[in-house]
Amino acid sequence: MTRTIKIDPITRLEGHGKIDIFLNDDGSVKDCFFQIPELRGFERFVVGRPIEELPRIVTRICGVCPASHHMASAKAVDGCFGNEVAPVAHKLRDMYYHAHFIHSHIAHFYALAAPDFVCGPDADPAVRNILGVVSKVGIEIGKQVIGARAMAQKIQQILGGRTTHLVWCLPGGVSKGLTKEELEEIKPMVKELSGFADFSLQLFRDVVLGNKAYVDLILHGPYTLDVQNMGLVDENNAPNFYDGNVRVVDFQGKEIVKYKPAEYFDHVAEHVESWTYLKFPYLKKRGWKGFKEGIDSSIYCATPLARLNVADRMATPRAQQAYEEMFATVGGHPCKALLANHWARLVEIVQNVEMLERYCADPEITSDKYRVVPKQITGTGIGIVEAMRGTLTHHYTCDKNGICTSANLIVGTTNNNAPIQMVTKKVAQALIAPGKEPGQAILNMIEMAFRAFDPCYSCATHSLPGEMPLDVHIYRGGELVRRIRR
Amino acid sequence: MKTLLLGMGNPILCDDAVGVRLAQDFKKKLNQKPDLDIVEECSVGGLNLLDLFKGYDRAIVLDSFHTTGGVPGDWYYFTASALCETIHLTNIHDTNFATALALGKTMGMALPELSNILIFGVEIKENTTFSESMSPELEESYPRYSSDILEEIEALLQSDVADAFPPRRASGCSSYYSAVRHSQS
Repeated sequence: MTRTIKIDPITRLEGHGKIDIFLNDDGSVKDCFFQIPELRGFERFVVGRPIEELPRIVTRICGVCPASHHMASAKAVDGCFGNEVAPVAHKLRDMYYHAHFIHSHIAHFYALAAPDFVCGPDADPAVRNILGVVSKVGIEIGKQVIGARAMAQKIQQILGGRTTHLVWCLPGGVSKGLTKEELEEIKPMVKELSGFADFSLQLFRDVVLGNKAYVDLILHGPYTLDVQNMGLVDENNAPNFYDGNVRVVDFQGKEIVKYKPAEYFDHVAEHVESWTYLKFPYLKKRGWKGFKEGIDSSIYCATPLARLNVADRMATPRAQQAYEEMFATVGGHPCKALLANHWARLVEIVQNVEMLERYCADPEITSDKYRVVPKQITGTGIGIVEAMRGTLTHHYTCDKNGICTSANLIVGTTNNNAPIQMVTKKVAQALIAPGKEPGQAILNMIEMAFRAFDPCYSCATHSLPGEMPLDVHIYRGGELVRRIRR
Repeated sequence: MKTLLLGMGNPILCDDAVGVRLAQDFKKKLNQKPDLDIVEECSVGGLNLLDLFKGYDRAIVLDSFHTTGGVPGDWYYFTASALCETIHLTNIHDTNFATALALGKTMGMALPELSNILIFGVEIKENTTFSESMSPELEESYPRYSSDILEEIEALLQSDVADAFPPRRASGCSSYYSAVRHSQS
């Protein structure tokens, strides 16, 4: 007989995820299913609209990574119009995107990752939050966090005119350039952010690496997976968040494939399970082999850590130092420890800051030639960027009048759907064993697993209270015998 | 009392748009009110809200609400004080509403008091399918609940104190956040 443990959100906000854990008779975990809702109908919604409107519409898909959708969409639309783009427009978009990464990674690290380490993974949920972090590290540091985040936001606003619902990218470029006055306004903020990136790395060293229990949790806990890695790289195989080729490297460091965005359909396919709306991308040429780890597995991660795993080097010198330090500490490159994603985000911030510094020193960046008006409609465009939480693909087609005829999106979190399933099961197996009933700790231990991926389930972002409470149901023989909730 | 009126939601996600639509309609009627700023569309949460609320004495938030067994078109109101119980680490990407406000206060930011953040939530039917139209149920009852909520907001704006809350139309309490629910029946 199978018992069922169900972790379900409190339904005052309907439509959120749940985790069902099925137990064997002896109390061990038989299987585990993590189900989340998917917003439906976007691909259908955009069909019949002018293709150049899509970058403005896609920012409404999600309040968490609107800039990622805007950029991927803009690149796909560029493709539909023949891909002739003003060179400085690519630089401006990339510059904006680095600021967006900084802004997002700061929020994730300090608001979501740091509480587990600064306050402790076993700390009372009432104090295990950013307020608890501030009370431990001090208000002054809290002010630095808020200030750095605001500066990254301000840089985006100066460049793109808005921070959330961008209307900036146009086919062939952007709608406004960067003036010399605006550049001078940005420069001191970049300098501040540079210091903040160093500060954050030092905080990680002090708080996390200085605690052996945390290092053991990262390296030897249940939070590891033998799956492959995916990320965008430049011509030197360094991470590139806005442009480049997609590289897939196995967990032993061997390149499986490197392909151009236009070839994505040859390399990525999506598996469907009957118990969830969300699909499971996998490496197409290997075929779907189930939720299996191993060197032949077709499942991959597309996360900050995966991006560093597929990279031979970083694109900038200080980021390179941080990259080398990280991989030396975690036992070499590549790394399978999913909690190292939190460290990888800080390494990425260093590259983001250094790239901003480069652009600030680039004489072309204030050029007024920031758009090429398209002269042709070619009908197909594929745009791939790295969203903060994974590789993001937009694929559009349009007719000869530029009216959208189809759209296909593979979003960052979807890439990681299979690994999230697998690590959730792994953590459940570690916590639930014969004679060992799960306690309140299971809530945070499982949350830590999927928090490492920084998943984005957009429906949770603007609703009040904007959270995903968990409710654990334990069933024996189909009967509810225990409930653990928060 | 400097007040922010905020429409929250996604204008292309079916009923999720209701807060945005209310704010757009109310702007036409409230635009001349002194010390009132209206942001018709906001679909961000967490720490991003701090940037919006900064510098205001009071905030009025219009949003959608989806509860088990709820009737589309019913509406709720409560203050942010009722959200204090939700301060913990369960949000997926960002802090939740209450945590962001508490953090801002701790940092000394000029933010409205929790009792001066007034939230109106309209019960909705569908918010997972992209559409520029609201569900027929919500559309049909729109004139009634928009009129009711506008009346409450106009009364609130005539007062400089939070004691104007809860609104005069209070008709009973739901189990959610000790919110006051106004039903159609």
